Amino acid sequence: MRFPHDRVTVKVGPPASKAIAGWRCFASKHRRQTWVQILERLVFLVDDSMWKSGVFFVLKAKVTRQKSKLCVVLAMAMLIFAGCRGRTDVGSQPAAVPMMVVTDDLGRTVTIPVKITRVVSLAPSVTENIFAVGAGDRLVGDTTFCNYPEQAKQIAKIGDTMTPNIESIIALKPDVVFVSTASQIEAFMKPLEANGIAVYVTNPTSLDGVLKDLKQFGELLGTQDTADKLVTDLQRRIRAALPPAECDLMPHRRVFVQISKEPLFTIGKQSFLTELINRVDGQSVTSDVDSAYPRLSKETASALDPEIIILSESDDNKEPNDVFKNSRAVKTGRVYRISADILSRPGPRLVDALEQISRCVPPCAAF
Amino acid sequence: MLVIVLMASAMLGAERLPLFDLNEQQRSILFDIRLPRILLGACVGASLAVAGAGLQSLLRNPLAEPYLLGVSNGAALGTMLAFVFFQSLEITRPLLAFAGAGLATIAVYRMAKSRAGMNVERLVLSGVIVTTFLSSVIVMLTTLLDAAKLRSFTFWLLGDLSQATRNGVYLSAGAVIVGTVILMSQARALNLMMVGERDAFDFGVEVGRVRMLVFGASSLVVGAAVAASGSVGYVGLIVPHLVRLTVGSDNRLVVPFSAIAGAVFVVFADTIARTAIAPRELPVGAVTALIGAPLFIYLLRKN
Amino acid sequence: MLEIKDISVSYGEREVLSDVSLTLREGGIIALLGANGAGKTTLIRALNGTLPLSKGEIVLDGRQIAGISRREISRNIAVVAQENETRFPVTVLEFVLSGRFVHGNAFGWESIADVEFARNALNDCDLDEFESRLMNHLSGGERQRVVLARAIATNARILLLDEPTANLDLAHQALMFRLVRERCRSSNYSAIVITHDLNLASEFADDIIMLREGRIAAAGKAEEVLTVGNIRECFAVDVLLDTHPASGNVRVTSVF
Repeated sequence: MRFPHDRVTVKVGPPASKAIAGWRCFASKHRRQTWVQILERLVFLVDDSMWKSGVFFVLKAKVTRQKSKLCVVLAMAMLIFAGCRGRTDVGSQPAAVPMMVVTDDLGRTVTIPVKITRVVSLAPSVTENIFAVGAGDRLVGDTTFCNYPEQAKQIAKIGDTMTPNIESIIALKPDVVFVSTASQIEAFMKPLEANGIAVYVTNPTSLDGVLKDLKQFGELLGTQDTADKLVTDLQRRIRAALPPAECDLMPHRRVFVQISKEPLFTIGKQSFLTELINRVDGQSVTSDVDSAYPRLSKETASALDPEIIILSESDDNKEPNDVFKNSRAVKTGRVYRISADILSRPGPRLVDALEQISRCVPPCAAF
Repeated sequence: MLVIVLMASAMLGAERLPLFDLNEQQRSILFDIRLPRILLGACVGASLAVAGAGLQSLLRNPLAEPYLLGVSNGAALGTMLAFVFFQSLEITRPLLAFAGAGLATIAVYRMAKSRAGMNVERLVLSGVIVTTFLSSVIVMLTTLLDAAKLRSFTFWLLGDLSQATRNGVYLSAGAVIVGTVILMSQARALNLMMVGERDAFDFGVEVGRVRMLVFGASSLVVGAAVAASGSVGYVGLIVPHLVRLTVGSDNRLVVPFSAIAGAVFVVFADTIARTAIAPRELPVGAVTALIGAPLFIYLLRKN
Repeated sequence: MLEIKDISVSYGEREVLSDVSLTLREGGIIALLGANGAGKTTLIRALNGTLPLSKGEIVLDGRQIAGISRREISRNIAVVAQENETRFPVTVLEFVLSGRFVHGNAFGWESIADVEFARNALNDCDLDEFESRLMNHLSGGERQRVVLARAIATNARILLLDEPTANLDLAHQALMFRLVRERCRSSNYSAIVITHDLNLASEFADDIIMLREGRIAAAGKAEEVLTVGNIRECFAVDVLLDTHPASGNVRVTSVF
């Protein structure tokens, strides 16, 4: 088990790395190799990001080498200050916040407070999950993509899923940051954890995965009752949307889902939408293509000749690609549009997606 | 050679087509999707290669390349602006691409030229500066503007021939023919320029006029190529190089052979892009770079 | 055929040539002497129309050079410049053929006559063997001869030579000057030669012009110009003068 306040070692704040940089400037000027070595060892103990800011300072310091005397004085002052700071940090660590250890969707063990009060979401689907399980009031930061439910728009924005602003996240002092695999997790995991912020990764890959995640959110955020009720309700709606079992014996409708018109993107083997299509009475024509959202050869697309085309509706994806102009779907007018927000987010509204898809793909019925 | 590659390329694709007796759907694949794409690839390859050959001779620098000199990025920014502000008017894209390419060329040239004349280091440095500056403007625009609107743009930036249409092919073909003819007409003057600008002047070359024509023609072909396919790198660098190794430095041979070899190179690379992981696709720019970079290093070491 | 009247040339504020006048007659060879930075190369560039004049005029066959097209100037005046290098693999024949540019049409390939001219020029410069060698594989001296061959191949009536013998061995120095002189004597070509070799100037030139800080310090026949006083003034060295035992021309010997 690893608690944030276990990490007592050398917690040196940014002023300290500046101090080190100051020393380096002083030391290099007077060629006192030993000092440099000692300091470098110290620097190694400091966090990666701080090391970098230190390097920056060294560069700055080199420019103003003339002021090296001032530099030395400053450096001393900073080092002393940093020393004090480090000590107070350790001392002032709150003694007993009850913590628990959980496993996230990537199998990572994450240590989070038992009572979570401040949450940041880095994905629209996560935001929807949090609101759906009734913990929306504890969401203190979300992304510019988060536009549902309406209240999500009012919450402080920390950038978008791909390029979140780490500083804003840290400034919000959340207990946990919930991210999806759409984010570049490796890029910000370290600085967040260094600041005692837990990172919990969600990665639902199927409808059941979404339901499981909702339950998990309920447990983490202490709203199990709301979550359970929601999941039961969703399960009922799913059953209602699915075709009668005897339809399995009938031929399935060949469905093409167009994610983007130019260049042509569709859904592949790993997409949860493939599962949705196949669970209603359809057959995704690109279900054997590797990856979740592959870019598809137009030649292949043209040869697929789908009976139904579903457009994930967004600004640049309102019409089927020209290669489908002779397909059965276009000729018979079976082109449907479903909001990209609903189709692309593995959150509670995925059930809405299932219902809308099932309306596009009539069960058991011949065309 | 070009004909063979074109034919071979036409036979290869994500969908296997029979040689004869095509049904309606197969004909549609061949004539509406595959052939326009192959022909566009050929035009783009020829464009970038002749522009590279022309600029290299003009600037007396075998490293000059539309991509390295900021010409491609100028065209990319132009296309992007057209994309953002005149989305409905397709024709504005090549026009603004041309303007962007021209402005970038002139900017680099102005920066590289000091009173003491122009040296290679300054030229490459100016090119790099203009290229990175334009790249950052492009990145900034993609960040500031609506993400959904610009998604297709991001792929286009990597070099992408999948959006080939017949009109696009006509436009590129027109540009590359005009551009190549202009460059050919200046080929002999370029032979002199290649040795030295002052020298060329002494021997009767109207340096200013040749420079304007070559810059103009390069901007024209690069603008058309970039508007149609994004940034396909290394073609302008590697192809004229290989051609010079085979036919010598005479631009009257280098320019037309570069056009042919460039077409072959890009069609070949695009065939790989189309078929390597079919039914998915790679961006052709990635393939040309993947072939081009090691080849270039090899040539560099060999000479 | 080439007349220069009171020309001045400035680089920005600095005047590098002031009030220079000279006349080049058919068949004449003028040697241009002077210390480094005296304005010799500037004068040649101005004659060729490369540099704008701030004052005066250059008249070629009775016409102002400013009003003549680039091609026509180049048909009449060929330059052998100091050292030029190329990074491209150009063969010697290709290089010499580029001198025929002014005689072809814009699109054109060289005619058989052009190739003939180039081969003759190569032959004149003792370069028959080098035809298909690459320019960037030649030695400095060889390259210099190729550059001269190109100037000869243009068939221009006026040759402007900027230190044509700087990198040449003794035999080829003599060859080059003999070649220039023969052309001038037999076919009424004429030449202006920049050189640092006062003895070569004395042997081969009809007239010698000595430049000092952008002005003509002395002009005339060798025996008039190559005096102890003039040389001291222009080069700041003392010399001994006597007569060449074979040719009877002035001979200059440095005193160290």
